[in-house]
Amino acid sequence: MNAPIRAVGATTPRVDAGLKVTGAARYTVDVALPRLLHAKVLRSPHAHARVTHIDASAAAAMPGVAAVITRDDLKGLNATYGYFIKDQPILALDKVRYIGDMVAAVAAETEQQAVRALEAIDVRYEPLPVAATIKEALAPDAPPLFETPAPGVVPAYGTGASGFRDPAKNICYRFCYTHGDAAAFARADHVFRDEFRFSRMQHYHLEPFVTLARVEGGQIELWSSCQNPFPLRKELARVFNHPEQNIRVHVPFIGAGYGAKNNCKTEPIAVLLAKKTGRPVRFCMTMEENFLTQSQHAAILQLETGVSKDGRFVARRSEILLNAGAYSDASPLVAEKAGYRINGPYRWDHIDSRCDCVMTNTTPAGPFRGFGGTQAGWASESQIDMIARRLGLDPVAIRKKNFLKLGEAYVPGESGIDSDLAEGLDLVCREIGYGRGEKTEGRGIGVAIGFKDSGGVNKPAAAQVKATTTGGVIVNCGTVEIGQGIQTAFTRIVAELFACPPERVTYAAINTDVTPFDQGTNASSAIVVMGQALERAARDCIARILDFAAAQLASKPGDLRLENWTVIKDNQAHALAPLIMRHFGGTGMEFVGNGFFKPETDHHAPLEAKCVSWEIGWGAAEVEVDEETGRVRVVKLVVSGDAGRAIHKDACRGQDEGAAIMGLGQALFETMRYDGAELVNIAAAKYRVPLASDLPETFRTLTQEQGHGPGPFGAKGMGEAGMLPVAAAIANAIDDAVGVRITSLPLSPEKVLDAIEAKRAKS
Amino acid sequence: MSAPKSIAPELVGIALTLNGRPLRKSVAPEAMLADLLRDECGLTGTKIGCDQATCGACTVLINGAPAASCATFAWQADGAAVTTIEGLAAQGALDPVQEAFKAKSAFQCGYCTPGMIMLAKALLAENPAPDRATIRDWLSANICRCTGYQMIIEAVEDAARRMREVAR
Repeated sequence: MNAPIRAVGATTPRVDAGLKVTGAARYTVDVALPRLLHAKVLRSPHAHARVTHIDASAAAAMPGVAAVITRDDLKGLNATYGYFIKDQPILALDKVRYIGDMVAAVAAETEQQAVRALEAIDVRYEPLPVAATIKEALAPDAPPLFETPAPGVVPAYGTGASGFRDPAKNICYRFCYTHGDAAAFARADHVFRDEFRFSRMQHYHLEPFVTLARVEGGQIELWSSCQNPFPLRKELARVFNHPEQNIRVHVPFIGAGYGAKNNCKTEPIAVLLAKKTGRPVRFCMTMEENFLTQSQHAAILQLETGVSKDGRFVARRSEILLNAGAYSDASPLVAEKAGYRINGPYRWDHIDSRCDCVMTNTTPAGPFRGFGGTQAGWASESQIDMIARRLGLDPVAIRKKNFLKLGEAYVPGESGIDSDLAEGLDLVCREIGYGRGEKTEGRGIGVAIGFKDSGGVNKPAAAQVKATTTGGVIVNCGTVEIGQGIQTAFTRIVAELFACPPERVTYAAINTDVTPFDQGTNASSAIVVMGQALERAARDCIARILDFAAAQLASKPGDLRLENWTVIKDNQAHALAPLIMRHFGGTGMEFVGNGFFKPETDHHAPLEAKCVSWEIGWGAAEVEVDEETGRVRVVKLVVSGDAGRAIHKDACRGQDEGAAIMGLGQALFETMRYDGAELVNIAAAKYRVPLASDLPETFRTLTQEQGHGPGPFGAKGMGEAGMLPVAAAIANAIDDAVGVRITSLPLSPEKVLDAIEAKRAKS
Repeated sequence: MSAPKSIAPELVGIALTLNGRPLRKSVAPEAMLADLLRDECGLTGTKIGCDQATCGACTVLINGAPAASCATFAWQADGAAVTTIEGLAAQGALDPVQEAFKAKSAFQCGYCTPGMIMLAKALLAENPAPDRATIRDWLSANICRCTGYQMIIEAVEDAARRMREVAR
């Protein structure tokens, strides 16, 4: 017999390689239909204003214009959307709440005609006072963004966690988590209070937000660059009062998202225009419009941390303010995650965290790689380093002293940590040369730990696996290929289980009519949640095949084994195709297996279900600081994630490297700059993202395979955690290099120089 | 490039070589090369990202030189030889640069990949053995938000090796 086929861990190319290197890969931007119309929207020039008058009649009469929609077209719809809080209107109703808020939309034969028609729409505004920052929005005399609360829900929470709607003016949501006794602070030898600022990044995905929609015979059909097709279908059904079974969502390849491509973005306007015109409508935003649609959350984080004199963590109180922008989007969930992750992977006697979503007249903030863990990790990992230095302790040693052990519950009622934290930290310390060599002036090394729960909250996932007569295998599930390599991972997992070559397994196109249910491709959940459903589906399919073969071979399924589309019985291979043809005749048969996974509901777990997995990113940076200019050069960057088991090593490496360089951009220069409520650097060339020339001289990522993940073959989710430690590791390295502490991002030369000069003035 | 001849008040007649084949078109004066390629010729491998000549997803070769097709008027390609990603594997076999990107998994979402491959193609045509610093500088013309660039740089090094082997 041949050597066993090994699909998992093999180094052959990704399944999407051929399509992607030839330009043949189809994205939503590439979809076209006959009689297609193009949509463009009119956006508010005011940050906060009442809309007193809209007249679109002149625009409707412009050349090529098929339809114009305004708030008048929203009657009879549930015209607002959002994750938990339905506060964002399809088009402005009574007010606009940020510069860029959508007011009207046009569908025309060409994009140029649509743009020209927008200029003919007459809108009158009555400007209102503006709250552009967290501070302004929380001031006693701040203008309220919402006069009446928007409809919405607070999710169910278990032990220690709670959520509140509208606890104060311009705060749409508050998440709290606590365990242990506040008296623990009295037992601490030192209590340190520090404040941190986190600036907001733009996702900068290269494929814009885009939808192509058609409405025919009561059927809404859309192609969307959306990572959560089923939640999108549900939201559109609610917004349009339309039966869910008559909404079909297709998701082709996605030109990345980094969190942004979720819920309603371009979809409601495309659908509404398609309904009104009876023709297919394409709404593709520009890069500038992406900047006005979604961003990361800026934040102010205050930490009060009690420690013993030998560096044991005792208690922590956290207050986090997230800048949610003008609409809530996924802010409540981001608040939950920031508030829940702020402890880091450490042991505490007492935790008391609060995270508020503050509404401001700026671009709505939403999911961004790391999802609250970025903000929390920046503050927590900076402060831990500051505490170590204040106490004269080694920053690595203090972390190791307080790390949760492998398998130890994160907090009471939670699942155990599924990576060995010390093992990973030792690895990156070795690679960066921590504690080795002489200290060079102006040079320093810093470490940090990125941390998040992964797998989403209480997510159900269903998958299906089909096998054809000739042994072709089709994977059918709702996880979208957004660049992470999930088509490759899933087809290999199934190939391994079927003991067949990976090229026998194909990944079905996503169409919500036939794709089994999924809650979305997010939270590093694919491999640990859908992966478990898929493994069950594959095993179910194999069981059906063996049942069939047992009947044909007068045997028992337990005595048979599937290998390369033969059934092995007593060391003899029986080809399946002839057995199937003999029994079914015609064109044969397909075997279908189904699988389902959901973490168990558990009221003792703070988030109502134990977290499926924990994603750790270990980071170490060596920097050189120019004390004359404040410029920080990252000489060496080492980042490591734990894939549990790497299904495809290059895909894992790529995730870690991409995440790390995104973190590098965040640390050093990326930020959406506002002048009041106006976004100043709104353009591809004005907003600086890392280029190849920004790579550190030495840049290493190390994919660990610790083997403790809950996914197939011990796999875990990865790809977010690699970003999380980078900014704090660099800030910690700057402190090590020149003895100054920067507590706000980005770590610009101005801030570093100011800190150096302040230090000089003091001494 | 020669001045285009006007064939109608609103349209410009152009003739170019696209992926090795002659092409004649009448285009609007404001039409961009990227739109001509994508909408008129169905060559959707050329992607539009920023639409402002910054990200490089729309990179094509015009007479062998990399150009942002989103910021090039279609009429500017009159008389030129234009190569898009679809022109590289026209004979069926992948180009060595494509082979290298495939073998090294030098992509993730793939949206910047055609532009990156065209950019690398132009580099290797000019310099068959670029060092790492040269590759890094050259690739800094385009943006990839997914990969962190290092695997792309390694793929270009690998492509250079492959091309030298073919030439030998």
